[in-house]
Amino acid sequence: MTFKRSEAQINLASNIVIISMAMLFATLFMGYAIYRSSAPVWPPYGTQKVSLLLPSLSTLILFMSSFFCHQVLVNSRKADFKKAHFNLNITIALGLGFMILQGFLWSQMKGAGLYVSSGIFASLTYAFTWIHFAHMVLGVLALFYLKKVLKPQTQNILTKTSSVGNFWYFLEIVWIIMFITLFVF
Amino acid sequence: MSGGYNEIHPEPTTFWSKYIFSFDHKVIAKQFLWYGIFFLGVGGLMALLIRWTLAYPGVPFPVIGNLLFPGSNGIVPPDTYAMLFTLHGTIMIFYAITPILIGAFGNYCIPLMIGARDMAFPLLNMLSFWFAFLSGLVLLISFITPLGAAAGGWTSYPTLSTLIGSPGAGQTLWCVAIFLFGISSTMGAVNYVTTVITLRAPGMGYFDMPLTIWGLWLTAILNAIFVPVLGAGVILLILDRIMGTTFFLAGASATSGSGDPVLFQHVFWIFGHPEVYILILPAWGIVSDLLSFFSRKPAFGAKATALSMTSISILSTLVYGHHMFTTQMSPLLTQSFMTLTMTISIPSAIFFANWLGTIWKGSIRFDSPMLFSLGVVFVFGLGGLTGLHLGTTTTDLYLHDTYFVVGHFHYTMAASVLLGGFAGTYFWFPKMFGRMMNETLAKIHFWGTMIPLNGIFFGMLLVGYGGMHRRIYNPFIYESLQRLIPVNNIITMSAILMGAFQLVFVYNFILSLRKGPKAEQNPWNVGTLEWTIPSPPPHHNYDEIPVVKCGPHEFGNPNLKTGRDFQYQTEELVQA
Ligand code: HEM
Ligand SMILES: [Cu+2]
Repeated sequence: MTFKRSEAQINLASNIVIISMAMLFATLFMGYAIYRSSAPVWPPYGTQKVSLLLPSLSTLILFMSSFFCHQVLVNSRKADFKKAHFNLNITIALGLGFMILQGFLWSQMKGAGLYVSSGIFASLTYAFTWIHFAHMVLGVLALFYLKKVLKPQTQNILTKTSSVGNFWYFLEIVWIIMFITLFVF
Repeated sequence: MSGGYNEIHPEPTTFWSKYIFSFDHKVIAKQFLWYGIFFLGVGGLMALLIRWTLAYPGVPFPVIGNLLFPGSNGIVPPDTYAMLFTLHGTIMIFYAITPILIGAFGNYCIPLMIGARDMAFPLLNMLSFWFAFLSGLVLLISFITPLGAAAGGWTSYPTLSTLIGSPGAGQTLWCVAIFLFGISSTMGAVNYVTTVITLRAPGMGYFDMPLTIWGLWLTAILNAIFVPVLGAGVILLILDRIMGTTFFLAGASATSGSGDPVLFQHVFWIFGHPEVYILILPAWGIVSDLLSFFSRKPAFGAKATALSMTSISILSTLVYGHHMFTTQMSPLLTQSFMTLTMTISIPSAIFFANWLGTIWKGSIRFDSPMLFSLGVVFVFGLGGLTGLHLGTTTTDLYLHDTYFVVGHFHYTMAASVLLGGFAGTYFWFPKMFGRMMNETLAKIHFWGTMIPLNGIFFGMLLVGYGGMHRRIYNPFIYESLQRLIPVNNIITMSAILMGAFQLVFVYNFILSLRKGPKAEQNPWNVGTLEWTIPSPPPHHNYDEIPVVKCGPHEFGNPNLKTGRDFQYQTEELVQA
């Protein structure tokens, strides 16, 4: 069964979903701020920071994917669905690439002796990246959904494209905050 | 407004698509109703087990005691006692009140009262129920795990809830169940907010919405924002329990860099205080409408009522610290939280005065929905007043963690929401099922609930004030508390009495469902949109989308010449 829906409904609903998820991450970052500000030194004694190479690469990849994701909307607006699909494929590929890199990041952290149970710094780094990863899975699923419906006949296709796009940008923004808080400073 | 499609969905034809995996908001509402009533029974039985233990420590529970606790001759064992109060709270809040007030009434009333054919996202609506179902299943399974169900209180504070405090799988499953329930609530919230904003009938401005819808809408907004906060909290707790992170472990139990058990309390109450308003707002809305409907008078200051509900919702996000006065937070913070808490009194007083203004000089009809609504006015008034003692730091230092708190939140939350829920059930039953409930039984049910209810909860205030702490298996090992045994006996007797009178409700419900007299379209003579269509409504609710021309509470207009004392919302307001 399919239901007809208006642009306003899709826009509203997708924004509420993003607000809900933002509250989840905001809670996590609040926790981070409290742990961080109450610790005498950071990272705590006996823990070492994670090498910046992989996280920086991930940031770059996700940034590029957002650029291509934006192009999908631009192409769709011009009704150039062939190009839109091309750019969507790149977005998905970069998204998957990011997720594979996260796997490397975790094994690198383990290799450097930073285990999940190695204290609060490790707890924060692992848990936040896991939770973000779980949302990335949802994000990639949303991109695949878009892949399926991205054609001129689809109802409200521009609204659907921009909603999925907003979700993807949201995931990127969360990652950037994580990159800065967990890895850089 | 609007911009939403209001199409007629094809009617389902198979049993599965009609009753089980239904997209129809009316069917989903009933599913939530049955779900909620089932858990209300489970939670109620737990309450009796708790009460029996507190009044007659060491005495076997009558009749079914030996069946439930064969290992201890029918006496509730101490560890089971902790599971009981934990799951009683959890079940009543998340699995009884939420499904009935938000799931059932939200689903039933929102589309009907705003003149829509269904929710904006019917599939999401169905998923919301099935996530709740799954969550309930996980919670029930937690009872049969080796070390039993969660036992750290409904608030689940670490370290009680970490592996140190509760090593079994029960607490982990509790967290999983709560997370799944959170997903269900968030899905519902997305739907409710979108539906109210986009699917109101033409002509219906926000202040033409019944106050029931205001309550449900504000609840949905708070749900969408604050349920994910608890979600984050329980995810971290799950990770602490199964992956070995140390978020809530402090001192020697954490290896490098300390976690912080108190952080969970912050997270819990940032969610928790809005949550108590999430639970009460739908009941407030229902009662605000019913008081007007059965006083045959316009709701006094309806706009101010809606706006005070809104400001209470906003302020409720800023006061959570009043649950944590005794956690050694800085006095500057406790004073700020105390002041903010007291600020809520202003909109609350406006709101409450409007209730009184509504019934003032009304020609009151004491039908069962009205009796229950008046009951809410009484118990909520009392419960709200006890909040002031708890919100004041100096008095809370003494009262915190005593039965006074338990009495307070049972008056504000349990009693008010329960009575409000019954008011709504008696009121909408004819529309939902097309039959009338038996009014005599309903009145017996009311008095049989109202009188013992006060025996229970006022008794709790008394023993709490007398110094009895909550969550203790046998408080009377302390000599100073032994003089409170008689009051505890009265509380327990009242609880058994109240429990017994609920059977009258169950009997009436089932009897009316099958044999009640057929309900007319508008048995209560009320003008809101759902009463302009048959009882029960057809699959698509409205053949033609109604056009709204006046507010929901147009009663007793002296210019009315129709022979009725009320106007339908589809009628132009009659002028002199
Ligand atoms: C009228 C204004 C209210 C004020 C000033 C107020 C104040 C408070 C305070 C200060 C506490 C903490 C007491 C302590 O633990 O020492 C408390 C507990 C509580 N209140 Fe209220 N409250 C109000 C209304 C409500 C309402 C409307 C509800 C629910 C519908 C509610 C539900 C609860 C619950 C569930 C708890 C305790 C939870 C627990 O510790 O297990 N309160 N209240
Ligand atoms: Cu509170």
